[in-house]
Amino acid sequence: MANNPSYIPPGWDYNPATWDQRIPIVILAVVGVFIASYLALYQLEIIDTVWEPFFGDGSVIILNSKVSHVLPIPDAAIGAIGYFVDAVTGIIGGTKRWKTMPWIVIVFGLAVGPLGFVSVMLVVFQPVLFSAWCTLCLCSAVISIAMIGPAMDEMLASLQFMQRVKKSEASTWKAFWGVQSEIEKVK
Amino acid sequence: MWARIINTILGLWLMIAPSFFEYSSLAADNGHILGPVIITFSVIAFWEATRVLRKWNYPIAIWLIIAPWVLGYENNIAIISDIGVGVLVLLFASVKGKIEKNYGGGWSSLWKKNPKHLKQSE
Repeated sequence: MANNPSYIPPGWDYNPATWDQRIPIVILAVVGVFIASYLALYQLEIIDTVWEPFFGDGSVIILNSKVSHVLPIPDAAIGAIGYFVDAVTGIIGGTKRWKTMPWIVIVFGLAVGPLGFVSVMLVVFQPVLFSAWCTLCLCSAVISIAMIGPAMDEMLASLQFMQRVKKSEASTWKAFWGVQSEIEKVK
Repeated sequence: MWARIINTILGLWLMIAPSFFEYSSLAADNGHILGPVIITFSVIAFWEATRVLRKWNYPIAIWLIIAPWVLGYENNIAIISDIGVGVLVLLFASVKGKIEKNYGGGWSSLWKKNPKHLKQSE
């Protein structure tokens, strides 16, 4: 079913919404949820110590820094929520969702992109502001960057679909939210 | 793929080199800021659909080449490292690599009046 030719976007050679395209991203997001939750538990003082194999008290310095507590909830908790959104929006929808549910694909792309951006920013802050490194924070950043590339092809297919919607007679608003009667009007 | 991997390693080098060679704090900050950015663009460019991000490393590479003068580096290793990494990143970022699949005209199609995916659907 996933290889049904009608599921391949026009001008493409493959369907970017198949499970073998999406499952690896979801697995990365779930690993991200675990790492970020663990770090958040430390920041919320639910656990007393944090695992740091390489950089001495680096993780302690980073996770207790002012930057990580600039918002009402610690930054790792926000990261955990971000990864959770990535995982959920990665799972929802069938293997033609680039067309049938553009909104979820676009939310997915928007969730993956900024999370990666914030992670990179936090990696920069570690040595520049605090002269310290945090192993698990770096792992989390690697995961969030690795998710961007594979997620963006589906986003592109959905954006191209929305472009075709705009040039058709269908309602852009309804097609975005996946109203079937409108989607059927678009090739 | 190999060009992206090399640039990722060069980005890692920028991140770790300051700890080994007593860089000035400006030179160290420069590596600590640009290393992760180069890695990010290189890793995202691993995938064909986002290969275009390799080009985002051009301005960073050019900055690395001129940074030793602008920021007034005194450590010779820092000078050679930044210029060398800048030249190499520029070189490898210019390698397009294989694009084996079609993506309906890619990201630029989104700004075109009659993009490839639209023609294909008719």
